[in-house]
Amino acid sequence: MEKKVIKKDALAGIVKKLAGQMPVYAPVQDQDNVLFKILEQGMEPMLDFGNTRNAPKNCFFPQAETMLKYFRTERGRELAGVVEGAPEAVLFGVRPCDARSFILLDYVFDDPKYKDTYYMERRRKTAIVTLACVHPPSTTCFCTSVGGHPMSSEGADIVLADLGDRYLAESLTDKGAAILKKFGDLANADDAALAKKKELSEKSEKEIKSIIPGNDIKPWLDANFDNPFWDTIHKSCLACGTCTYLCPTCHCFDITDEVKRDGGRRIRSWDSCMSWLFTQETSGHNPRTSQKERWRQRLLHKFRYFVDNYHAIACVGCGRCVQYCPVNIDIRKIVTDISKL
Amino acid sequence: MSIEKRLQEKAVELLSEKKVDVVVGYEAGTLPYQAAPCFIENPDDEGRLVLNPFCSVNLAKYVHDILMAHKASQKRMKPEQRTKKVVGVVARGCTTRSLVIHLQERQYERDQIFIIGVPCRGYVSKKKLAAAAGGKEITACAIINDRLSFTTPDGTKEIPLESVLAESCLSCRYNNPVISDVMVGDPAPPMKPDSEYADVDAFEAMSGEERWNYFAEEMKKCIRCYACRNTCPSCYCKVCFVEQSQPRWVGVSVDESDTQAFQIMRLFHMAGRCVDCGSCVDVCPMGVDLRKFLKKLDKDGYNLFAHRAGEKMEQQPPLSVHSMDDKDEFIYEP
Ligand code: SF4
Ligand code: SF4
Ligand code: SF4
Ligand code: SF4
Repeated sequence: MEKKVIKKDALAGIVKKLAGQMPVYAPVQDQDNVLFKILEQGMEPMLDFGNTRNAPKNCFFPQAETMLKYFRTERGRELAGVVEGAPEAVLFGVRPCDARSFILLDYVFDDPKYKDTYYMERRRKTAIVTLACVHPPSTTCFCTSVGGHPMSSEGADIVLADLGDRYLAESLTDKGAAILKKFGDLANADDAALAKKKELSEKSEKEIKSIIPGNDIKPWLDANFDNPFWDTIHKSCLACGTCTYLCPTCHCFDITDEVKRDGGRRIRSWDSCMSWLFTQETSGHNPRTSQKERWRQRLLHKFRYFVDNYHAIACVGCGRCVQYCPVNIDIRKIVTDISKL
Repeated sequence: MSIEKRLQEKAVELLSEKKVDVVVGYEAGTLPYQAAPCFIENPDDEGRLVLNPFCSVNLAKYVHDILMAHKASQKRMKPEQRTKKVVGVVARGCTTRSLVIHLQERQYERDQIFIIGVPCRGYVSKKKLAAAAGGKEITACAIINDRLSFTTPDGTKEIPLESVLAESCLSCRYNNPVISDVMVGDPAPPMKPDSEYADVDAFEAMSGEERWNYFAEEMKKCIRCYACRNTCPSCYCKVCFVEQSQPRWVGVSVDESDTQAFQIMRLFHMAGRCVDCGSCVDVCPMGVDLRKFLKKLDKDGYNLFAHRAGEKMEQQPPLSVHSMDDKDEFIYEP
């Protein structure tokens, strides 16, 4: 595919110009947080920001969406499905860990047997532009321990790498090539640029500070569903779900009907294994009786069940849950502790 | 001997003499600016206990959690098999006030808790610290007396500790325990309680419309994770109305009015029951200004009923008691 170079100061202009032609999601400052938002006139995309507060999964899998609407009419019940055609769009400035999360989410939502039309429509139409981490943005990053790499191009349609004086832009898919054309006239990348990227990539990998035995704990998890260890992690948990809502790979959802007089809508909204309503049955019974079982579910889903089902760990090592858990429950520590048992 | 060492010794003593089954305290966190709640059951683990200005959340919530779980576990047992559980808790001023509220509201008996009182000079607000660091990652952090130094990729900086203390702490009236079974450490000097309503006074001076707009704007930030409710020692309803589904009071999507309904209900449920520990503000991932509204209720509680939440065992929360000379003009003349 194409390999081009972009002048350092030209990138912001290119992104803003693109935003005039199609919806472009990019990291922007929003009060105290940096969030992925659709760029509008006057908004500045952040070109060198580490991990945004919210994961970009929101763009394909929003926190709440209407699946269908229904009405009571004189002729009886009427339904209106609401899968609207999504526009072609660009998701710009995604870090490699987050880009990898889309591959994991695709396993779930683009399963050979079950296709999630809501997710798929937006996912198919959106090109992902990854911004490689030439330096890991934070000490809590641990992508290399769970199958990723700070300069990985997995999940990307275009990868940008900051070479210091210019960006190297590589398209990896047809969708990416089409968007790269819209970037305007760009010079072809020379060998020096490619060599520089390789050098930066090796350096960046060495700069990762958090190394955890992510791949080693599966056998223990397989054998220890009832181990007393599970009594030790959940006690301070506030069940706020911050860890699951910010997580780029968490994908559980709930379906609720909201009815008002003669009409209603069916809503899909994020669920969280951290909430006591998770797997609560209509009878009032919940097979997961306390936060202990819920926390075990969170860890087992990521490091055991997902591995069984899709041969990948459902964690990309972005470190959000580590940084934002209000009571400092740290998944890196838990995985490390398990590996010592 | 450092206060931390004395605390650890006390924990060993209480656990080995079986005076308590568990000590709820704080341990060092995995990030340089955090301490995490911890639960010590084995006297050999006492070395984990720390006490420093990174110890933020109010631990009374966990005391309630543990005792309620224990109570539930005893229900199906024969009376002669039932056991008593005693929880030891490291408690500063606001924590003890929350314990008083639990006792007043008959959540558990006084002899089910053992209060290890500690003095407090306030805790570090993670949000203020993040702002001081300009949003850069903090890779090291240390406190020496009244200065705090932190390191970011831009270098090391030193600032007054006071500049990053939580708002609740800066104007705290009860930074020393109001009740305790044992005190560890000498009482801390007072904070600046005279300024406690400065923020509320400014808010009250605004017009009704401005106040509503402020409330509505703040609530737009809220993602309804309920961390504020879950960390609050006074929010202990078994099933919160927001999660009831028969009937459903509050919708599940991200509708503004649903969020406002949740917050209004929670705030009013806090009247006379909020100790201003600041935990809800501390754990809120979105930085919602909850304190202004809670402080307004607190101010009204004091002005109308001369009541301060959890200050004294014998003074019941104003909404739980009725007296013939209660003020009532405000009902007719809002
Ligand atoms: S589990 Fe934590 S570190 Fe892993 S992907 Fe999710 S938020 Fe990131
Ligand atoms: S962020 Fe922390 S406190 Fe909140 S649910 Fe997750 S582990 Fe529990
Ligand atoms: S509110 Fe008072 S007692 Fe509570 S932490 Fe702050 S200073 Fe300490
Ligand atoms: S903690 Fe903050 S975001 Fe979460 S429900 Fe409370 S106010 Fe809303």
